[in-house]
Amino acid sequence: MKKTTSISIPRRIILGAALTAAGVALSGCGGGAAPAGGGNVELNFVFWGDANRAKVTEEALRVFEKKNPGITVKTEYQDSGPYADKLATRFAGGNPPDVLAMANRSLLEYAQRGTLADLKSMPELNLDKVPATVQSRGEVDGKLYGLATGVTSIGMVVNKTITDQAGVAIPDDKTWSWEDYAKFATEVTQKTGGKVYGAGYDVATETGPILLARQRGEDFYTEDNKLGVSEETIRDWFQYSVDLRKAGGYPPAGFFEQIGGSPAQSYLAKGTVASQIIPINNFRGYNEAVEGDVVLLRIPGETTEKRRGYSADPTMLWSIAAKSKHPKEAAKLLDFLTNDADGAAHTLTQRGVPVNPEVAESITSKLSADDKTFVDMMAAIQEDELAPAYVYPKGASVVADTLKQLATEVEFGRVTPADAAKTFLEKSNAAINK
Amino acid sequence: MSVLTKQAPGAAAALAAQPGGQGRRGHSRRTNQRSGYLFLLPWFIGMLFTIIPFFASLYLAFTDYNLFTEPNFVGFANFQAMFEDPRLLQSLKVTFIYTFVSVPISLAVALLIALILNRGLSGLPIYRSVYYLPSLLGGSVAIVMLWRYIFGNNGIVNGFLGLFGVQGPAWVTDPEFALSTLIVLNVWTFGSPMVIFLAGLRQVPSMYYEAASIDGASRWRQFCNITLPLISPIIFFNLIMQLIGSFRTFTQGYVMSGGTGGPADSTLFYNLYLYQKGFTEFEMGYASAMAWLLLMIIAIFTAINFIASKFWVFYDN
Repeated sequence: MKKTTSISIPRRIILGAALTAAGVALSGCGGGAAPAGGGNVELNFVFWGDANRAKVTEEALRVFEKKNPGITVKTEYQDSGPYADKLATRFAGGNPPDVLAMANRSLLEYAQRGTLADLKSMPELNLDKVPATVQSRGEVDGKLYGLATGVTSIGMVVNKTITDQAGVAIPDDKTWSWEDYAKFATEVTQKTGGKVYGAGYDVATETGPILLARQRGEDFYTEDNKLGVSEETIRDWFQYSVDLRKAGGYPPAGFFEQIGGSPAQSYLAKGTVASQIIPINNFRGYNEAVEGDVVLLRIPGETTEKRRGYSADPTMLWSIAAKSKHPKEAAKLLDFLTNDADGAAHTLTQRGVPVNPEVAESITSKLSADDKTFVDMMAAIQEDELAPAYVYPKGASVVADTLKQLATEVEFGRVTPADAAKTFLEKSNAAINK
Repeated sequence: MSVLTKQAPGAAAALAAQPGGQGRRGHSRRTNQRSGYLFLLPWFIGMLFTIIPFFASLYLAFTDYNLFTEPNFVGFANFQAMFEDPRLLQSLKVTFIYTFVSVPISLAVALLIALILNRGLSGLPIYRSVYYLPSLLGGSVAIVMLWRYIFGNNGIVNGFLGLFGVQGPAWVTDPEFALSTLIVLNVWTFGSPMVIFLAGLRQVPSMYYEAASIDGASRWRQFCNITLPLISPIIFFNLIMQLIGSFRTFTQGYVMSGGTGGPADSTLFYNLYLYQKGFTEFEMGYASAMAWLLLMIIAIFTAINFIASKFWVFYDN
């Protein structure tokens, strides 16, 4: 029997397909924590970030291990998106890391579900030097679930080489209004013959409207963890970008493609936009990635609107899992990350300006000129009378997603800014504290 | 020997008998069975990893499980909530459009290429591999990223259109075009149905065509009256597999939109939304219920296909 009819082949293929499917099912996910051996405590420490952040963190951890014999620290890091997913699964699976980086917008989700330890109850962690305003950003019901890794804010960066060539003067950032910025951006586009767009900030990132709301006397997120921003503010935020696009200062719809978050991948680095809003702890990265002279400015409207929009925001937070098997050692590590100048000598301003002022002081001499620009601006901002800022409510990640989605709808003219603002409030209010 | 093993009960024994059907001696039926089960062992172990989550998810579909605290039984509340969830409806819409546009096109392209390759080209294995390669890579992160670059504002496609003075649309960032870009990506990965078509075409006995040519039937008639009916079981198989695969699309939407399903939910595939519900909004109960709805949808479409197949699939016996 050599060959049968035509039917035998497909059957065999079907069988093969079934076997392949079974094989695919087999390749599940592996991994898991290795148990600590021989009196030595192994801490699992996770954070998000890039290779550079990982490198300086490892350097600091080696100092910690030297100062604390018997404790070794095993780290893992990813990009922020996968990090958030993995963190959720690890907690759900009953295998949380001991010390972890927490996003501001996720703190309450985790805290209110009892997954995080109260840092105030840990004697190994000295909080004496951490200002109350900083602590308050991780406090829920009087307990401290997240401690700022450092503080930062957002700012405007402008490629001065481009504006100089175009012959456009950068307005004084201590007094400029949002109208001034629009005028400046439009002028840049005109004078470069449309080769460079004057403005290139991301409408869909929540930090923009958070600041604008505060400038207008509103709290984007209120003290009692609700949404406090008005429909009008959101509408104006969207309308501003629509008008700026019409005037030519802002690129056309579809121009921005989300390819990567690093300064090197930014449109500022590509030279297609002249200005951008960034978290200012990344200033050095931008100045290094951009060919030209980048200057750091304050956000427009700080002196022309009702009140200051700025606040010193936690770049991210450190938390300890409630179920950590080594809470004492975890607290020691957190204390090191917060209060130890030798460790900070390696991490410098990677995660914002250190929250312990003495530590911040100790590293200033080691900072590059760009990092010093950032630290100086952070210090100058805090000299003003700033409005209070609060913990992000539960559901803040849905709010961020909603903003992103509506920003696109507005960008392509599928929804008017007024309708988008209305939808934003409806959807966000439905998602918060559900 | 081979007669004996073929009579052995159970698929396992038949499987075990295949490789050593000739020339081996001294194997008892029991040894054959044992090695058969041994070969199947990985599959059984794999099944455990499927069956346990399967029933866990069925239970969780009726709870408000949030990943951190104990699940509470909520009855059909998750299923009821689905009907009032506009994003769920959007994700269904995206998935249906994607499936019903891309599956027929990719099957047609696969069959067409298979027909061309079947005409005795020299270097057939090379062509086969070249066309099959995208299928292996299609769902991978790297290819979706590459796709983003090709269709990006400064990508090859718009660069090419620019040569003719045409300003190409924002393929990736415009909600009107983002899904179409993914459909093109899916059609491009026609390789795996193509290889299966090719295998089927090679099994069609050439005597049928010889007889038809003698009777004066045109190529087109030969294709319609001989090729299509004879490979109809393969078309059916490919259709089912492509349909199921397409309903389960995840990676393309996830990578293309950076996990958001954007721009403006235009690539919010059902599975992507399910994932968002489970892992960013911590509504694992709802996500489980969604998974079961998807299972039902796939089951219904597969059943419809099986019923319809009676009218167009011909088995040669």
